[in-house]
Amino acid sequence: MRYGRAIALAGATVLVAAMTACGGDDEGGGGDGAGKTLNVLIGANTQYPEEFAAWQKSISDKFKAQTGADVKFETFASANDELTKIQTSVVAGSGPDVYAVGTTFTPTAYSTGAFVKLGDEEWKKIGGKEKFVPATLGISGPDDQNQVGIPWVSRPFVMAYNTELLKAAGIDKPATTWDELTAQAKQLTKGDQYGLAIAYKDNFDPWKFVWGMSTQAGNPLIDGKTAKLQDPTVKKAYETYFGWLTTDKVVDPAAIGWTNPQAVAAFSKGKTGYFALTTATAINSLDQGAVKGKWAFTLLPTVPPGATSRPANGVEAASILSGDNLLVADYSKNKDLAFEYVKLVTDQEQQLDYYKKFGNLPANAAALDTLKSDQKLAPLTDAAQKSVATPFTGAWADIQLALTNVAVQTLPDLAKGPVSAATLDGRIADAQKKAQSSLDRAK
Amino acid sequence: MSAVTAAPPGNKPGSKDAKPGKKVSERQRPLWLLTPGGLLMTLIILIPLLLALWISLIDLDQYTLRRWVEAPFIGIGNYVESFEAGLPKSIWLSVSFAVLSTAVTVPIGIAAALVTQNAYRGRALVRAVFLIPYVLPSFVVASVWRTMLQPDGIVNETLGLGSTLWLSGPNSYWTLVLVEIWAAWPFIYLMALAALQSVDNEVHEASAVDGANWWAKLTRVILPYLRGPVLLACLLATLNHINNFTLPFVLFGAPAPDDVNVMPMLVYVTSFQGLRFGLSAAMAVISLILIAIPLYAYLRAVRLDVDK
Amino acid sequence: MTAQAEAQRLLPRPLLVTITVLLCAMVLVPLAYIVLASLNSDVGVASGEFWPSSFTGESYSKIWTTADLSTGIVNSLIVCAATAVASALLGTSTAYVLVRYSFLGRLTILRGLVGLQSIPGTLMLLPVFVLFSSAGNYLGLTVIGTRWGLFVAYLTFALPFSTWVMVTYLRGLPRELEEAARTDGASTLVVLWRIVIPLSLPAIVVSGIFAFLLGWNDVLFASVLTRPETHTAAVALQIFGSAQEGGALPVYSQMMAAALICAAPVVILYLLFQRYLVGGLTAGGVK
Repeated sequence: MRYGRAIALAGATVLVAAMTACGGDDEGGGGDGAGKTLNVLIGANTQYPEEFAAWQKSISDKFKAQTGADVKFETFASANDELTKIQTSVVAGSGPDVYAVGTTFTPTAYSTGAFVKLGDEEWKKIGGKEKFVPATLGISGPDDQNQVGIPWVSRPFVMAYNTELLKAAGIDKPATTWDELTAQAKQLTKGDQYGLAIAYKDNFDPWKFVWGMSTQAGNPLIDGKTAKLQDPTVKKAYETYFGWLTTDKVVDPAAIGWTNPQAVAAFSKGKTGYFALTTATAINSLDQGAVKGKWAFTLLPTVPPGATSRPANGVEAASILSGDNLLVADYSKNKDLAFEYVKLVTDQEQQLDYYKKFGNLPANAAALDTLKSDQKLAPLTDAAQKSVATPFTGAWADIQLALTNVAVQTLPDLAKGPVSAATLDGRIADAQKKAQSSLDRAK
Repeated sequence: MSAVTAAPPGNKPGSKDAKPGKKVSERQRPLWLLTPGGLLMTLIILIPLLLALWISLIDLDQYTLRRWVEAPFIGIGNYVESFEAGLPKSIWLSVSFAVLSTAVTVPIGIAAALVTQNAYRGRALVRAVFLIPYVLPSFVVASVWRTMLQPDGIVNETLGLGSTLWLSGPNSYWTLVLVEIWAAWPFIYLMALAALQSVDNEVHEASAVDGANWWAKLTRVILPYLRGPVLLACLLATLNHINNFTLPFVLFGAPAPDDVNVMPMLVYVTSFQGLRFGLSAAMAVISLILIAIPLYAYLRAVRLDVDK
Repeated sequence: MTAQAEAQRLLPRPLLVTITVLLCAMVLVPLAYIVLASLNSDVGVASGEFWPSSFTGESYSKIWTTADLSTGIVNSLIVCAATAVASALLGTSTAYVLVRYSFLGRLTILRGLVGLQSIPGTLMLLPVFVLFSSAGNYLGLTVIGTRWGLFVAYLTFALPFSTWVMVTYLRGLPRELEEAARTDGASTLVVLWRIVIPLSLPAIVVSGIFAFLLGWNDVLFASVLTRPETHTAAVALQIFGSAQEGGALPVYSQMMAAALICAAPVVILYLLFQRYLVGGLTAGGVK
């Protein structure tokens, strides 16, 4: 017994020591950066884990050399996780100093009022507004005077298509209207080959189609304080989106259960004509599959379904304005350091380095210019310029959720055949109600 | 130390409990020993709980989050809104899911306990196998089943079900129940096994002498011994099912199909995706009250104070 | 002994065998699938293969860089082991007072202990975070992001159950030994340390294991209370499992390997303490 107790005591001592060591203490000392630590929240990258670690290290080293301060990276798993982190930090008034926030969550972050609004002085600190691609500033704030988001990287959405399959089907040019896309997809579907790969069960993809098609048809979903989901354009968008599977039958029936990675995998097998929603980060994945050397990117259609040309009030929205913005927390005690960090990672050199490692396009105009010569990237840079910002309101996260929810709830019906108009109307009405009540509360 | 001796002496049904300590209590009572535990629970559970109660009465959302102390007080407004925001359906889903899961796990758990009661070669191995679903973290169980139940996944492939949807629509409810059952039955098994081991040997011998057949012996003699413990296990298990957030969240993601929008999911989505903290706290408080009902039954069943 | 075993036989042999086989299959088939999938290629898993067309152990080597599992497992082991030890000991001393002495409010405390176990975690997340971060703001104590913070949270959540297990167990312990020690002039602490704790080891093990598991399985609190260097295994696994950069391929095989690696320590722990566990539960729930 004595012996056992001694072991227990020793064990306890070790535990206490282990917990005390490496406690994550980050009290800043005085001086110019030296001894201080800047905390940066950034999305985890499990696709290129080693490169990601190397990138963190190289940024830390450079930052240390420049300012004497350390950078500590915190990672979040998913958009949900990120929102939770933002909320808990805001309510507590402590947490990361710099946040890398997805473009569509920037309005939500803005609405908390917990991030530094960028005046002339702040922009100057990070090297001036001019250094960014103008389009990327589209979702930095509700207007020019109230911007919080500093563009970091952009990931415009495009389509990937199988060049061989298109050629074999006698299609010489990828589709530029949604109707054309559907028609080509029908041509491409035969045997075990499908025209389109769509990730129906993804939690982030479906609303992008609906938003894109409606915006092209002249309905950006929100008009001031009014949600406009119960609009023929929205219904048409859902019908087209679901129709690919149910009436046109150009999508693998298993796609009902696909998330985006599974759609990537399906397309990369080389048996699918188009992969309808993807981005530059997929290059590596696609080159791993049978489709290697036989695929190319192209713009998503910009003419709404049922039309051969865009209506007068329609917008040429090739993609949502997509990517990451950097936000500096209002509660941060290291704001100057935070801006130094932002300046560093938005520099031409770092932006190009990040692009090479992870495939995210630079938000830095000069850096993007150097990529213009790359033929393969042309559709991407084109899409970056034709990206349109989603409405800037604190209610957007809810609206996005409501739009996705329509798709989520409709999935089981898709398996049975075309969705009835009444069912769809009911679900859209429900989404409209949620969207409107969220807009009503928006301040 | 074997499982049987690990049971506290004097605890077997029928034997008398130790005498109450009137004598000792006259002396100086070391009540200070309660302070560390009491302090922790007050600090980390009670204070946050009160804070949550307060949050449920104010209009706390993304706009007021930063200055949450100044968020407007709206009384029972959040509670009223809860009922419009789909809470009744979630309550129904949660309760039916929890009761159903418990109801199915009980026979499985008891059967498992019965087959491992008698010693045979390899019993230790079987017992270990039975514990595995219970010790796998919820997150793991959910991720694994999600992969297996995809339309083109292994389950449909093996059973030849085409592309049956397990993770969307009405089927998702049954998926949730089945996976929960798969993961939770060993709890009932453990409790039933423990109770079986407290059955005195004389009982077995007596019924053997009677020459009763196994079914009569099982239903008339053995199962009555299990009633109390298993009933308690049921209540605890039901509470666990109701509060299980990880399983539906990882299996279905958010937004979840309407058919599996159980209370913890609704509370989580409302607060961390919809950013309505006040509303979500009100929902959680209502669910807490709901849980209090089986809990009350539990508290009475366990005879809290046998000493008195 | 054989006669006794015969007397104790509860089920006819064929039935016993059938049930055992069925239950084992129910557990082992999915488990076998996990093991096989972890040795398969991602493409193989995606196409619904049960038996891999080619075996590879690659996932097991890759996963350590993809997900920060080693840091996670070390952190989890440290925090959970500390939680287990502390909650078992604290639970014992609390339970001892509750069982051996009568005082006003005792029943309320006992009922409260059970009540505290039913509070949903989703309700507590934000308030606990607010509390912990105010400790940082007003007292200058860093709590969030430290193992200490997580430890304190888990300890507190585990304490009601631990205490409850100990209360039911200690109730059954004869008090003669304690009385004798007291007559010799031993203080309460000495009685606890020398007599009560050694006698109630089985129950202590049980409450410790439950506390350990509570921490091991938690994702909700750990995801907001930790930083990368203090991430637990569950958080590392969750980050890996739900990270969704556009364009990535699904990594089923690594997912399954990670699942097995994270489950392994707990399974081993359970197997080691299995016999205690069954006995201790008798004490905890049955009475």
